[in-house]
Amino acid sequence: MWGFIYMGAFIASFIISAILKMTVDPFGGKYVTHWDSTVGTVYTDLSYGDGEANRFDLYVPADSGREHYGLVIYLHAGGFTSGDKSGDAEMLQWLCAKGYVAAGINYTLFSEENPQANVYTQSVEIRDSIPSVIAEAEKLGYHIDEMAVAGGSAGHALAMLYAYRDAEVSPVPVKMVFGAVGPSCFYLEDWINMGVDPDHPQPVDPDTDYSGVAGLFYAMSGKEITADMFATGEYLERVKDISAAMWIDENSVPTVCAYGAWDRVQAFGASRRLDAALTEHHVPHEYIVFPHSGHGLQNDNKLYGVYMEKVTEYLETYMPIDCP
Amino acid sequence: MTLTQRRVLILVIVMIVAAVLGRLAVRAVMNLLLGGTLLGGNFL
Repeated sequence: MWGFIYMGAFIASFIISAILKMTVDPFGGKYVTHWDSTVGTVYTDLSYGDGEANRFDLYVPADSGREHYGLVIYLHAGGFTSGDKSGDAEMLQWLCAKGYVAAGINYTLFSEENPQANVYTQSVEIRDSIPSVIAEAEKLGYHIDEMAVAGGSAGHALAMLYAYRDAEVSPVPVKMVFGAVGPSCFYLEDWINMGVDPDHPQPVDPDTDYSGVAGLFYAMSGKEITADMFATGEYLERVKDISAAMWIDENSVPTVCAYGAWDRVQAFGASRRLDAALTEHHVPHEYIVFPHSGHGLQNDNKLYGVYMEKVTEYLETYMPIDCP
Repeated sequence: MTLTQRRVLILVIVMIVAAVLGRLAVRAVMNLLLGGTLLGGNFL
């Protein structure tokens, strides 16, 4: 009988512990907002273009008495092929609760129905959406005079493209960018080393056929890239439009970013180039590496706390709330 | 230590080991999908 009790206890403990690991918030709700009308109001599925996906959600704070507001855009993750702005409601509510007008923006995802969509077309949609987002906020009585752009994974990549490549055409000054695990550039030597020991990357082998990587870069950039372009470096010019790190200069905006050293979804090596570019051009930034984590930043909770503290600190520094 | 005390002690040890393995199993699956190390960081 005790044998069955031991077995039952083992199975029950195993399952309960696994469920708790997956469901318990390690921060005890610190970044969760109890959302109601005293915090703000959300307007969903507002249109910014003709495309089916050209929709955004706008979160406006309950306090509508200030003369001007900062706008924070948060772009959703999903590998450029999936995801939705509703998945970031918690983050958008948190930003709104801090006093910002916050917006989650959808973009046309690469799919069988939209085979022409790629990272570049998505970044253009985001660029073209910003005036509509600001106009909608103004219509509701929230005068926007500055903005930040942010996102997770694919959304982080698009946020960085807007911040480093497109900030000059923004209707209001872009003050900062933050996000996690977004691909910042596309170098062959980085992308053949996804998920391997970050301190011992494999060198490019001239005898290996890298057609798969070429196909991936082709799909993401929308420009024809073949494996033979790797030998000459010709491909780099073709991926520049989707490589945020290649647009960084001394005028680039302050940045907070977080990356997992063992990421097997995007290239960790690309984030080192992002850090190097920001350092080289003396751009204020925080580059936080999660040494035990991958794309989910899942194994370094303390560092995730550091990341959120840095985001808060940068928001307070570069996007201070103007109290009436 | 009585036989019952010994059985309860074994039961507690079994539950602790199972709880650790349950969390490690989730971590291993997540690492498989996303990348990451099995040890280090927030171990549990």
